[in-house]
Amino acid sequence: MSKVVSRRISRQTWSEWSWGWFLIAPTMIGLIVLNIIPIIQTAYLSFFKSGDFGRGNIFVGLDNYRKMFDDVQVWHAVGNTLLYAVLVVPISIALSLIVAVLLNGEIRGKSLYRTIYFIPMVAAPAAVTMVWRWLYNEHFGLINYVLSRIGINAVDWVGNPKVSLISIAIIGIWSVIGYNMVLLLAGLQEIPKDFYEASEIDGASKLRQFFVITLPLLSPTLFFVVVTSVIQAMQVFDVIYMMIDVTSPAYEHTVSLVYLFYNNSFKYSNKGYGSAIVILLLAIIMVITFLQVRGQKKWVNYM
Amino acid sequence: MKKRLSVLMAIGLAASALTACGGNNTSSSPSAPAASSAPSASASQKPSGDPVTLTYAIWDSNQEKGLRTMADEFEDNHPDIKINIEVTGWSEYWTMLEAGATGGSLPDVFWMHSNEIYRYASNGMLLDLSDRIKSSQSVKLENYPEGLNQIYNFQDKQYAIPKDFDTIGLWYNKTMFDAAGVKHPDETWTWDDLYSAAKVLTKDGVYGFLAPLHNQEGYYNFIYQNGGTVITDDKQSGYDDPKTIEALEYYVNFAKEGLSPAVFDDAERAELIKNGKVAMGYFGSWNLSGFTENEYMAKNFDVAVLPKKEKQASIYNGLGHAIAYNTKHPEEAWQFVEFLSSKEGQERQAELGVAISAYNGAADLWISSNKTFNIKAFVDMVDYGVIRPYSNTTAVWEDKVNEALGQAFSGKIPVKEAALNAAKVMNESLSQEK
Repeated sequence: MSKVVSRRISRQTWSEWSWGWFLIAPTMIGLIVLNIIPIIQTAYLSFFKSGDFGRGNIFVGLDNYRKMFDDVQVWHAVGNTLLYAVLVVPISIALSLIVAVLLNGEIRGKSLYRTIYFIPMVAAPAAVTMVWRWLYNEHFGLINYVLSRIGINAVDWVGNPKVSLISIAIIGIWSVIGYNMVLLLAGLQEIPKDFYEASEIDGASKLRQFFVITLPLLSPTLFFVVVTSVIQAMQVFDVIYMMIDVTSPAYEHTVSLVYLFYNNSFKYSNKGYGSAIVILLLAIIMVITFLQVRGQKKWVNYM
Repeated sequence: MKKRLSVLMAIGLAASALTACGGNNTSSSPSAPAASSAPSASASQKPSGDPVTLTYAIWDSNQEKGLRTMADEFEDNHPDIKINIEVTGWSEYWTMLEAGATGGSLPDVFWMHSNEIYRYASNGMLLDLSDRIKSSQSVKLENYPEGLNQIYNFQDKQYAIPKDFDTIGLWYNKTMFDAAGVKHPDETWTWDDLYSAAKVLTKDGVYGFLAPLHNQEGYYNFIYQNGGTVITDDKQSGYDDPKTIEALEYYVNFAKEGLSPAVFDDAERAELIKNGKVAMGYFGSWNLSGFTENEYMAKNFDVAVLPKKEKQASIYNGLGHAIAYNTKHPEEAWQFVEFLSSKEGQERQAELGVAISAYNGAADLWISSNKTFNIKAFVDMVDYGVIRPYSNTTAVWEDKVNEALGQAFSGKIPVKEAALNAAKVMNESLSQEK
């Protein structure tokens, strides 16, 4: 009797398993074909001097890595990429948190505002950058025109090495706020209203409510937003690619690791070296993410 | 357990982060071009009777209209062939072509350039046209300038047929010249005339001359006018040549003295001249249709041959028509290329003002295609045109040289130092060539 039961359960379990696998199969296959295999291939390629058109790769061991560690441009790119992340992540999260909290309250037309904030995420980055390029244009741009009306001299927003990374970061912040806002809004709506009501009876101010209730209960969402924002920022490419030419005097001060990877792989057809650069980026992102995951118990509050 | 979980999560997140770039590295990467050429391949496999569709890839949207007209005329005479023109911007064009070559889905017929011919020819990506040219009635290589034929000849095999050529001209704002009482530039002009005119014309927020960090439409011309060189015959950098350095010093001086804006961005150059911010600028003949369409340019500008120093020189280059080695329709593709390269095709191209046809004598027809500017200057310069410097990996060292020279353009280091740096990086790059 017991045997029969156990067999029936195991059959059921088996069927559950197969259903489980069946349901995650599309994601799994996509992940393997589009993510895992390319990563392995990239890592593999980084040990080769690549031939043209994917033929005649020559194994060179660690040569690409050795060359990379001596290449000042790579270290500039590491610095630029990290600096960009430092500029974009805290500011964009702070701003999107403020916007999310405001739009979570009772204001008229809040779905309209939510849509407006989300629009930059929907627009193609290349198109967005084209518009920003015009705004930033030194001679004819809107920003410099407005500045000239209030008596400030023209600024070379794109070409001046001192400001170009900030100009790029502004676009980055502007375009990511909407997306983070939506994630944070979802987190905000999961916080039970009772907490606020109870604290109100106890006489807590709105500001105190924010720090004592909202922030701690939002921390799991916030953690997710921080981790993904950092990763996204570390991969910055399209805006810089569209704005900064290799000939630009700001190139050295704005080139990111992905841009450098692109130039080496596709412009100079040195895919092996490009792969080594991108593996370095992978390593940096892994270390940062690992530290973040380790550090989460200090501040993330899973109810 | 928890520790292991966090490690796993870190790896997982980081790994998913990489996909955007990692994916680019596989052969299937930019899927768009591969996908766009696929329909033509599948369409062509249909049984005979259905027309064959050839993909014709180009990078200059200014030429699309004229080439479409020619393709229509070709289709009328060859009802069994359809031509599908695909335009991709210059820098994306080479990414697209490389992906196509790696993935085995090259367009049937496409434009070739001196910067890239070596890579494609030496790797067998192009159909050898030598035998077809030999047996052709209408295509004879002696009808094209020898220098252009040479670009597309690799190990005595012809891999592309010259389509057109281009030279660089001195565009000047005649309204500004007249207002300042300066004589219009002509073939007697020297560097001194250019400099003194730039000085007179620099006023009221207008710069006299445009001297950007740009090679083909910029300092290359000056280097050769001064008797210098960019690359020597034995494939060494010419940036340590005193003549080259002297030319660069003269060129950079325009921006240093405030006679030219400091321009590093490619697109900004045309913006400046089209908006009346500069009185003179060097621009290639391929800008013609864009400049003619611009009302301000058409009204105020004209073009002259470049001023000389030790000698006259203008950077001269030409595109070629190539066929993919693995095209499904070599015969049809050849018929199309044969038409484009024939006397009739080349004359038609000139007549329509598409580009200066490479075919000897056809250039005169091109001159009469545009009444707005004195474009004869571009053809006059062919006599002393210098082929755009190239080697097997031009694209690599050109960028590195620009990076090195940029330091001098922004005034960070003296020109000589920047030029010697350029020579160093260029020689390093050249030494890696096979």
